[in-house]
Amino acid sequence: MTGSPLKTLRILLVLTAFLMAGMTAAFLLRPGASETSSGNSLRLGGDFQLQSAAGPVSLSDFRGHPVVMYIGYASCPDVCPTSLAVMAQGFRRLDMEQQARVRGIFVSVDPDRDSPEKLAEYSAFFHPNLVGLTGTRAQIDQVVQQYGAYYRIANLDNSALGYAVDHSSRLYLIDADGQLNEVLSHSITPEELATKLRGLL
Amino acid sequence: MYSLSRLGAPLLAALMFSGPALADIEISDAFVRATPPGVDVSAAFFRVHNTGGDDRTLTGASTDKAATVELHTHSEQDGVMKMRRIDGIEIPAHHDHRLAPGGDHLMLIGLTQPLVDGDRVELTLQFSSGDPVIVTAPVWSAQTEMDVENRIEENKHHHKMP
Ligand SMILES: [Cu+2]
Repeated sequence: MTGSPLKTLRILLVLTAFLMAGMTAAFLLRPGASETSSGNSLRLGGDFQLQSAAGPVSLSDFRGHPVVMYIGYASCPDVCPTSLAVMAQGFRRLDMEQQARVRGIFVSVDPDRDSPEKLAEYSAFFHPNLVGLTGTRAQIDQVVQQYGAYYRIANLDNSALGYAVDHSSRLYLIDADGQLNEVLSHSITPEELATKLRGLL
Repeated sequence: MYSLSRLGAPLLAALMFSGPALADIEISDAFVRATPPGVDVSAAFFRVHNTGGDDRTLTGASTDKAATVELHTHSEQDGVMKMRRIDGIEIPAHHDHRLAPGGDHLMLIGLTQPLVDGDRVELTLQFSSGDPVIVTAPVWSAQTEMDVENRIEENKHHHKMP
């Protein structure tokens, strides 16, 4: 199942999207490029609506705040908490005034295990400015597609976990106007992230 | 009792601590991830030193802090992180193997309580041959872990001590 040509093709397509997004960032990120019209669109990013413990939340609610978004799942024991800790550390390297303006969004692609209430507590553990969101499968898939991310529920018959979630692990840097500014590797350092955030403040 | 004391304190101490020193397997740099609220899984990491002349395989582990402990590995394929269960981790004779973030780990599933920075977790490691090895690992938040890694990095760069 893992190595099927279709899956590989899909992953390659996702990666191609990443690459093209990077190469043509200046073109893609011009004002007005926020809406993705179809799956083939090269324009990554855009508004979306998901569910928080306090009700529906849209990216457009964060106008005026630079946002770092991460897509993963809470029972991920390693990659996700490390990435979120990098995000939180990056925030903490800003001065108080700057730190008060930045926001983090953690999107869980595992709504069966991660309720909005659980995600609220989970996210606050890393940083008070980090909110945890999830939604219906359709809402989640929309965000994932808009940002060129990838996930797949992988059933693990031999594990007490039941299933794991294969997922891309990137930090999406979104400017105060809601435009995707840059897609960052999760291996970025807190200092590098803070520098990029200062550029958006 | 009397005959024991005749051996003298230094010799007695040497005998008492000879167990770990004679073993072929040594564990270092162990830690367990602290759990964010609501999460009942965690991961344990450490370095296994096989100082013996035989290849050894880590085949399993247990702890009283979790219902299940499994051996897991992470692989990154085309930018996608995949976590899978594995049957064993082989440590060739006279080699080290590190279970490290982003790679191999012990997956603690069904934690009996949240793991908080500063806690300690006792892990019993089973190998293909030989006695189980018991290791006590501190619980670190991803934050603490990052601070420790930074210190290690800094020490590398500023290592001018005699
Ligand atoms: Cu695992």
